[in-house]
Amino acid sequence: MWAYLLRRTAAGILVLLVLSFAMFILVALSGDPLAQLRASPGTSPATIAAAAAQLHLNQPLVERYWGWLTGLVLHGSLGSSYTGQPVGSQIAQRLTVTLKLVVPAVLLSLLIGVVVGVVSAVRQYKPVDHISTGLAYLFFSTPVFVLGLLLKDFLAVDVNKAAGHTLLYTVGESTPGINGSWNVFVNEVQHAVLPVLTLTLITYATWSRFQRAAMLDVLNADYIRLARAKGLSPRRVLFVHALRNALIPVTTIVAIDFAALLGGALVTEIVFSWYGMGQYLYNGLTGAESPDVYAVQGWLMVAGTAVIVFNILADLLYGLLDPRVRYA
Amino acid sequence: MGRVRYRSYRGYRGYRGCTSTLTLVAAAALVGAAVGCSNSTGSAPGTGSGGPVKSGGTLTFALDEDVTGFNSILEGDNEFVLVEMQDQTLPRVFVVQPNLKPTLDTQFVTSATVTKTNPQTIVYQINPKAVWSDGVPINADDFVYNWHAESGNPAYKDVGGKAFLPIATSGYNQIQSVTGSNGGKTVTVVMSKPYGDWQSLWSQNTPLLPAHIAQTVGFDSGFQNFGPASQVSGGPYMIQSYTKGEDLVEVRNPHYWGPPGNLSKIVYRFILADSQQPPAVQNGEVNLVNPVIASIPFLDTVKSIPNFTVSVQPSLQFQHIDFNESNPYLKLASIRHAIAYGTNRPEMISRIVTPLTTQIGPLQNRIFMPTESSFTDNSNGYGAFDPAKAKQLLQQAGMTMGSDGYFHPNFGPEKGQDFSLSISTTAGVEVRAEIEQLLQANMKAIGIKLNIQNYAANTLFGTIGPKGEFDIIEFAWVISPFKSVIKSVYCSYTDTGDCQNNWDHYANPTVDSLFTQALTSMDPAQAAALYNQIDGQLWTDMVTLPLFQAPDLYGWSSSYANVIPNTSNVGIPWNANQWGAK
Repeated sequence: MWAYLLRRTAAGILVLLVLSFAMFILVALSGDPLAQLRASPGTSPATIAAAAAQLHLNQPLVERYWGWLTGLVLHGSLGSSYTGQPVGSQIAQRLTVTLKLVVPAVLLSLLIGVVVGVVSAVRQYKPVDHISTGLAYLFFSTPVFVLGLLLKDFLAVDVNKAAGHTLLYTVGESTPGINGSWNVFVNEVQHAVLPVLTLTLITYATWSRFQRAAMLDVLNADYIRLARAKGLSPRRVLFVHALRNALIPVTTIVAIDFAALLGGALVTEIVFSWYGMGQYLYNGLTGAESPDVYAVQGWLMVAGTAVIVFNILADLLYGLLDPRVRYA
Repeated sequence: MGRVRYRSYRGYRGYRGCTSTLTLVAAAALVGAAVGCSNSTGSAPGTGSGGPVKSGGTLTFALDEDVTGFNSILEGDNEFVLVEMQDQTLPRVFVVQPNLKPTLDTQFVTSATVTKTNPQTIVYQINPKAVWSDGVPINADDFVYNWHAESGNPAYKDVGGKAFLPIATSGYNQIQSVTGSNGGKTVTVVMSKPYGDWQSLWSQNTPLLPAHIAQTVGFDSGFQNFGPASQVSGGPYMIQSYTKGEDLVEVRNPHYWGPPGNLSKIVYRFILADSQQPPAVQNGEVNLVNPVIASIPFLDTVKSIPNFTVSVQPSLQFQHIDFNESNPYLKLASIRHAIAYGTNRPEMISRIVTPLTTQIGPLQNRIFMPTESSFTDNSNGYGAFDPAKAKQLLQQAGMTMGSDGYFHPNFGPEKGQDFSLSISTTAGVEVRAEIEQLLQANMKAIGIKLNIQNYAANTLFGTIGPKGEFDIIEFAWVISPFKSVIKSVYCSYTDTGDCQNNWDHYANPTVDSLFTQALTSMDPAQAAALYNQIDGQLWTDMVTLPLFQAPDLYGWSSSYANVIPNTSNVGIPWNANQWGAK
């Protein structure tokens, strides 16, 4: 078990290392962070040269990468972005925002996805299955920005009009100037409803289809027929014998999707003006003084680590869900 | 003047300031040329609505870009949105009005006078009551420090002995001395050589930073993060809070010595996707919008919102095409003129601009916009659409029409082949792509094969343009009311120091001489005449072909008064201290 964990971790670190080098080189070569400065009338060559030196642009690429890597390994530092701010603290702030969005959305999606998937499988080809299938395809195929706009236009505006005051907000994580921790919490929840709902609808749609398919496979398996033949109650067959095994493929999907969402739900963040990990990466690639190779590297370390960790976690969960894996 | 790269970089477009001394009547009159539409009642189109306002309340302004730091004079931080947000927090000597004329902010500086022409000497009288929000008086030390930081002189150093990294040094690099007297409230500036745009000093995009703060925290790095340094204000408002990616909140500056702002709070809300701003307006979360690109869907949506005033006005940003004269064919003025005659600018405008406003026509001046009082049509007919004349000029230049409908040069590297040129712009910008496609069709009609070769903005402005690796390049310029910066674009490219922005390999000693005269002229009327003379020469030489001004869209809730668009590079919050709830 521990040897397995060590092997997977070592392999993950190696992948991150290779990825970080490739990303560093590609991002650094993809543009000139000083392009705006160079194109600005009145900027002296001395200023441009000093700015280049400040951003280490006058050093060879490999040397710059080595400097970044040694900073990370020896000091645990992700360095400073081209705008002069520490990448580590920037990432921490952005990750907090993303977690506020992603964690509730994933929990809700998991709950709804599993329930809908199980019900669809148990009631295969019944009206409830057709309805849930139709809704899943509808949400699955609707672009996030369209769904977000629809919720804003047809939910938030109308609900607020009916209520006579603002219950649901369409932009940002909170309203500035709110006093009192309870009021702040309520205000943040009001801001989170629409983006979380958007992300939930998109995500549950996929997961419910996986859950349905996995459940159908299990329900038709021999050991389920045996369990029924042994006279076990339908509830026990469904929840203890069937669902537990049907959760294995869904676990993989959830782990991978959750890790990916930690890297940022870019479109959802843009639509609702949440400045999370996705927008951080986007800014690093397109914002002022971009491409900001250090910001992108910081994002990569967090997003890449999340993917590796959650994949390992998924493997461990298999063991919990399926004793055959644990004893193999 | 600056290049506009892509949406998130309206950056160099503008710089603003505000004056608390303007009367509403004067301000409203200044925007008389504005055009627009309104679905509110009782407000003149495009002029904003006046009337009595209440004291207090909040206005939320949606911005489509966040800031990267809080020193707008620092390279890298010089973004339009930051300048907008600092309109009300950092003092400026002159403020550009909606009529594009600089006006003295007499709350800050009671007088600014040129007392001597040789050497040019300017005396500023700072308001005796003027203090920073931490109680430190605003005085000559602030002028001296800001001059040092922006002079480009390596003898002056930032904290830690580092070089200052200002966005520009224009004007400040011609200052010989800045001295204070009268307890620091009188500032005397002596120029080493005459500077006609002296009103741009400590104004517009170079407001005054508090010296006592900057000297401690550092010019280059001290304002990178939000904190006490960036909260020190010398204007009617001060920054109360900033949340990255969320909002910046300004409240009244209790130490401001002039009339306090009407609103108790101004919230700048970052909504990076313009398409998300109208729903926020509908939901009452945003009261003012000014998207970078005025699109038809955006216009239609905000026009349909009840009690919301919308105004579309010609901006100071204009699209143009430049010819690279290092190309063996484009070095011939006759071929450049042929391309200009073959370009159907009215058609471009009818397709791209007219759906938004009918007030914009083909641009006939590349230095003054029609909304500026010094504007004259210098084109002398060179910008007219005349395909027959274009073909005639190509024939005269030594080309023969081939059987495939394209001219074949009788000289140069394309001798005997289809005459081909490339056009480049920033990839992914819809307006520019449409311009290219229309131009491609126009050129085909006169026998020129035009190939489109676009690049990412950073590549276009970082490599392709500066290194002259293009035939024709298309992008936008943003005109400043202060014209001296234009020199670096059109003076002879052989002067790599002063003319580093001349990517077109254009050189004309007459233009150089006129620039020298214009830049040193102390008479604004004479300087304007000289700039118009330069523009006339640029038309004759057909260095660039200006196409059309971009429209600017403003929208605000009709429950607010005194919101007055300013198409100059100071932006709409130029008089935010006068905004108020009705």
